[in-house]
Amino acid sequence: MKVRFAVAAAVAGLIAVAPIALAHHSFAAEFDGTKPVRLVGKLTKIEWTNPHSYLYLDVEIGGKVSNWGCESGAPGALSRRGFKKGDIKLGDTLVVDGYLAKDGSHLIDARRVTLPDGRSIYGGSEGDGGPGDPGSQKKQ
Amino acid sequence: MKLAAALLATSVLFFTATAQDTRRGSVPPPPKGPTPKAVDGHPDFTGYWRDDGNAHPHGNIGKDLPGFKLPFTAAGEAAHKFNVEHTVDPESRCLPGSIPREDAGDGGFQLLQVTGTTVFLYQYGTFRVIPTDGRKHTEDPDPSYFGEEIGSWDGNTFVIDSVAFKDVNTWADENADPVSESRHVVERWSRPDVGNLHLELLIEDPKFYKEPIHFQRSWVLAPGRETREEACTENNIDVSAGHLGPGPGSIRADGTRGYDTLAPLPPPPSKSNPAQTILPPGVKNLN
Repeated sequence: MKVRFAVAAAVAGLIAVAPIALAHHSFAAEFDGTKPVRLVGKLTKIEWTNPHSYLYLDVEIGGKVSNWGCESGAPGALSRRGFKKGDIKLGDTLVVDGYLAKDGSHLIDARRVTLPDGRSIYGGSEGDGGPGDPGSQKKQ
Repeated sequence: MKLAAALLATSVLFFTATAQDTRRGSVPPPPKGPTPKAVDGHPDFTGYWRDDGNAHPHGNIGKDLPGFKLPFTAAGEAAHKFNVEHTVDPESRCLPGSIPREDAGDGGFQLLQVTGTTVFLYQYGTFRVIPTDGRKHTEDPDPSYFGEEIGSWDGNTFVIDSVAFKDVNTWADENADPVSESRHVVERWSRPDVGNLHLELLIEDPKFYKEPIHFQRSWVLAPGRETREEACTENNIDVSAGHLGPGPGSIRADGTRGYDTLAPLPPPPSKSNPAQTILPPGVKNLN
């Protein structure tokens, strides 16, 4: 338990000091902050690309399967937070928490990705003004 | 157990470092020491510089003005409205951020100073090259995103004087504030010590602003960092698939971007709280 706590705390600390990257666009220009989504599904495609990385999941509800895209930070940003290419492979089950695209498509902004090893990684783009963004939280 | 102690110590170190700064995401204190000198005797600004965490509201060119209120002319007000309602963020379309936006945003940058030239390397493959060979502005410069930029020294201050900008596809900052092609931008850069870089910025744009805008902020040295490859158009489906709407989204009263109220995400899953898919009401799991 102590080990788990320490790992979680260290990961959170690493997120806290991750170098800020320039947001490619504002969170609010694309995603609906009133529509949180949790997706649990099997990884069908991985795109380690710029300006965003994408994880695609087959999500099953009531026997029906649909494919969803999960937009997250660029590969360099994820890597600096401890989320490396080798941490996932096709067929893995991921849990992705985020917000639905305003255009209603099956695309979410992945603010939190829970990996097969249990780690939860911040997936957003710093400076985009989205939830959890260390670069643009409302000043407390 | 040793692993746990090491990780916990690391975490405490990081949290202690960030607690000294004004917002999460800030770096530990920069190195201390005197300002390095270039071969010509001027301060050498070479290094990777990142936001010092003190620019509030970040990405807002009006951050130093009372109430963050920019002194728009009628044309400036109309240009801002147009940007918010009809323009997809130019940077999201992989266009150069231009000046002053690159000075107002949160992205770090690498500075390379050599004799006769200073180079800024930004994210997404954007760069600017500033001649410091004594040349003057040309008679009729071609318009460009960063304008015609001329560098010079005022004592230990590096001055960049820029004119002749493009008249489209440019926001002044992340909030979609406008700037016109006829603006005149003067940047005064200084490096008071090895670890800190400071900017005093002046924007004169009488077409869109009734008064000159003054803006200042600082960056800290990030040893070991460099500008990385980021192929902006590699997979830009936000734009190519039409997901991204116009404007920056909502602007809060404190001058930052984002929603005033957010529906919270569920807590992280755990063994005792296994995850299951949750969709918003009315959203179907159909392709």
